[in-house]
Amino acid sequence: MSAPLFSFDTPGLGPQLAAMSDAELDSLEFGVIGFDADTTVCRYNKLESTEAGLSPQRVLNQPLFTNVAPCMNNFMVAQRFEDAADQGSLLDATIDYVLTLRMRPVKVALRLIAVPGAAVRYVLVRRQK
Amino acid sequence: MSAGADADADIVAEHEALIQFLYLAPVGLVQAGMDGAIAMINPISAQLLMPLAPQACLNNLFDALEGVAPELRHLCAAFAPPSGMICEGRQIVLRQDSRDRLKRGTPEVLSISLLKLDAGRLMAVIADITEQVRRERQLKHTDAWLNAILTNISDYALVGLDQDGQISAWNETIGRVTRFGPDVVGQPYSVFFPDGATTDARQFDRLREAFADGWNLEEGPRQRADGTQFWGSAMISPLPERGALKEGEPDSAYCMILRDISDKHAASASVRSATYSDHLTGVSNRRAFFDAANQELERRRVSPRATSLVVFDADHLKALNEQYGTAGGDQVLRELAALLRATFRDVDVVARMGGKQFAVLLPSTDSAGAFAFAERVRAQVTARPATLKGTTIAYTVSAGVAEMDDATSDLAALMARAEHAVRQAKLDGRNRVAGQAAPHFNPPAAPPPHAASPL
Repeated sequence: MSAPLFSFDTPGLGPQLAAMSDAELDSLEFGVIGFDADTTVCRYNKLESTEAGLSPQRVLNQPLFTNVAPCMNNFMVAQRFEDAADQGSLLDATIDYVLTLRMRPVKVALRLIAVPGAAVRYVLVRRQK
Repeated sequence: MSAGADADADIVAEHEALIQFLYLAPVGLVQAGMDGAIAMINPISAQLLMPLAPQACLNNLFDALEGVAPELRHLCAAFAPPSGMICEGRQIVLRQDSRDRLKRGTPEVLSISLLKLDAGRLMAVIADITEQVRRERQLKHTDAWLNAILTNISDYALVGLDQDGQISAWNETIGRVTRFGPDVVGQPYSVFFPDGATTDARQFDRLREAFADGWNLEEGPRQRADGTQFWGSAMISPLPERGALKEGEPDSAYCMILRDISDKHAASASVRSATYSDHLTGVSNRRAFFDAANQELERRRVSPRATSLVVFDADHLKALNEQYGTAGGDQVLRELAALLRATFRDVDVVARMGGKQFAVLLPSTDSAGAFAFAERVRAQVTARPATLKGTTIAYTVSAGVAEMDDATSDLAALMARAEHAVRQAKLDGRNRVAGQAAPHFNPPAAPPPHAASPL
């Protein structure tokens, strides 16, 4: 098998994620949550679904920061997307964070991606070893 | 499909629904060990806790809250019953910093409840109660304003304070009530207090309490620019949104209304005196002492600082009573009380605890400082005998010093330590000060009257 085409750290990942099919997102080795301008979740890949213990139908079309990932609804995550949207600027930042996957504290790296003009913004999730 | 497979699918779906239920609960839920090690935690907890300690990996609840509620660890460790509520709805004030306020939606006040399940498990409920506190603050604010308006007042000063309690602007009301001019701007509001009537820590206590409760009201002696004193009532309220009190003034974080209520104070002084003063000596009675001392210890818990207690005990009072009559003994107690009142600061609580025993609580003072005060009293007593109708009554006093520390659980324990020290002073021959700091302390040769408070 060849190495995966895209890794968590691949530079300029925003536009490439937008071009991927759902099946391609499912093959990635990190979690992917895509959400639109209203913060409604529109993409949710298999790894993220497995880690969180939630099937996509429970998550898709739900507002991200209130109904899917309320733990990110603070200045460290949600505020950065809001600020990027307000300023029309590019956001591509990776932060250390803790998610509560199945109620266990799990250290993760979050990559926050918002490309000006793009319809979908992304939170990528990689478990820290 | 078999019935078994259907049942399995139902269980899986139910499990998923339960997980989502916990994910979406709009309140923080944490299960932890008694040492704070987190076993289970839901997303709202992470939302609330992560910004407090981004470096903490949410492995430990106490670590995550260390910066804002360091007492929780101790609270849990000290909770003896096998199970039960350790605290319920305890408020944790996160910040009152205007820069942080700019981050929209950032909580300012959390509430935490801790339930001990058994020897090894805790459940915590954490909620953002910023809005609730803000609403209550507005209500209290309104009440306090109404009280201020409805009370018959002749004049008041409206003083804007910045978040450190420094006067942010001058106006004519300040000039009228306090006679301070515009150069008072930038000074801490303690400039309105006589020397010794407050401490830096006490000034911050009032701001913090005003922030937490919506207002803080206090009466006490105040001083005008010319040194004359009046009895003042001061209400401090945080401004709901930071802004100028008057157009064109710099922004203020707090508003202080200072009133001269000397007349009203004189009228109610006798009632107050009967309730809170010792009838013989005029210093505080036990009730007033315990009220004030418990409040100070509570403040110390919220914002740690040195706090000391000195217990004084007149030596051989029984013998003095026999020699000079009870009038002689009473005179000794009155003069000792007057000396204590004159030696200690206004901010210290001087009380007669009963019989021949007095206690003095010293905020923001370590045991060395308390020891110095006590030694000064002891020395002055030997230099200035009491007099009753021309008769000179020589007497001495023993004192015990104790400083509050983490090993001392409460006021009663602190009292017990100071009383133990007094007994030691008696055993060592009376007319001396014993207790903490005694071995290391060298009394100054000639202590100046009213030395600067050891802040």
